[in-house]
Amino acid sequence: MTHEERRAGLVRRWGRSAKDFLYGMAGHDMTRYALKTRGSMEHLFILITMGDLLGVPILPPYYSLRLLPYVVPQISTWKRRMLRERDLTDALA
Amino acid sequence: MSLARVFREHPERRYIMYGGKGGLGKTTFSAATAYWLAKQGKKVLVFSVDPQASLTDIFEQDIFGKGPVEIMPNLYAQEIDADRHIAEYQEEIRGKIRDMYGFAEIPEEIESYIQAAAAEPAMEESAIFDNVVDIIVGGEYDYYIYDLVPLGHALYYLSMASVYDEWIERITSLREEMEEYSKVAALLERKEETEEDQILAELQDIRYRINMSSSILTDNEKTAFFFVIIPEEMALVDTQKAATKFAKFDVPLIGYIVNRVLPAELADEDIPPYLENRIEMQREYLAKIDTIFGDQVLTRVPELERDITGLDMIARIAEKLFGGEEI
Repeated sequence: MTHEERRAGLVRRWGRSAKDFLYGMAGHDMTRYALKTRGSMEHLFILITMGDLLGVPILPPYYSLRLLPYVVPQISTWKRRMLRERDLTDALA
Repeated sequence: MSLARVFREHPERRYIMYGGKGGLGKTTFSAATAYWLAKQGKKVLVFSVDPQASLTDIFEQDIFGKGPVEIMPNLYAQEIDADRHIAEYQEEIRGKIRDMYGFAEIPEEIESYIQAAAAEPAMEESAIFDNVVDIIVGGEYDYYIYDLVPLGHALYYLSMASVYDEWIERITSLREEMEEYSKVAALLERKEETEEDQILAELQDIRYRINMSSSILTDNEKTAFFFVIIPEEMALVDTQKAATKFAKFDVPLIGYIVNRVLPAELADEDIPPYLENRIEMQREYLAKIDTIFGDQVLTRVPELERDITGLDMIARIAEKLFGGEEI
């Protein structure tokens, strides 16, 4: 490896680190927020389409069934979230 | 205005519906209209949206759950077997879950949900509602004649259509909003592509189907809705009430057909007081019907000497219904 190449590699690594650093400073929180909101909405969505699983009657079951295959993996976490007890620490999350 | 003229002047009205209280002649007129159109070379499908359908009885041929059955040249009849449709649909959902996740067995919780959903009271109607879309999307007939359910049920069917509309719009927009968040997160993480949201794709297809089915019920250009009444107090009162409610759902009401009218010439003969009274009563209500509905009354159909089953009787009633006119 020549001196030039080593320098270029170093600059690239620096550049990447700087980018990651900036992303951590500014972008990461926003990404987390977007994903968290998306997650909450996912659970809301399952509630209004599959609420029958919790005993909340939902109209119309016919078309809900068509969505069922896609939400199979989320159903257990969703039920856990909907049915768990809540306390003060929820407000801090 | 005669009934035949309605068909002649508006050939674009390809979806024909007869509504009214139970037992007044909706199925009879559906079959007679189908017969009349088929005789003139139009390809017609008459189908029932009633879980307790009676097309099988009127055509004297078992057509239940057999798809479109040819009754005579150009005339096809169909009775939807909702239970079978639901069972097939459940199996399709199970198959999809097995394929998607490689399950040998459906998890118990999911299976019980599938079974519980099918037991919902609205399931049968929903299945028929959905099946109608398949029938109409096919588009291979010149005319589609809906043999409707009795009044109260028909209103339920209509309100179901509007509830579905509302439901699907809201859910789809929620899903679209979720998609936005996914995109934002992907953009911030500098991912090149986001996964396509399959649920959104399903929802859009469901929305298309629901809109298709419910828009036809309210389409002024393509649909003609006729009320069947008989010259009796109860039928008259109920029909008036229903007409107001139907109007709220924008059903394109074209006119009224009076059924079971006793032949007026009977009065000239020597008849028992029982019959005389009935004729007098009918005369009163016929006048009332004319005052209330005016020229929306398209025709009067006489009571025949026997019930209407079989093609010969259907032909006779078609003759009375359209007064021998052609399209």
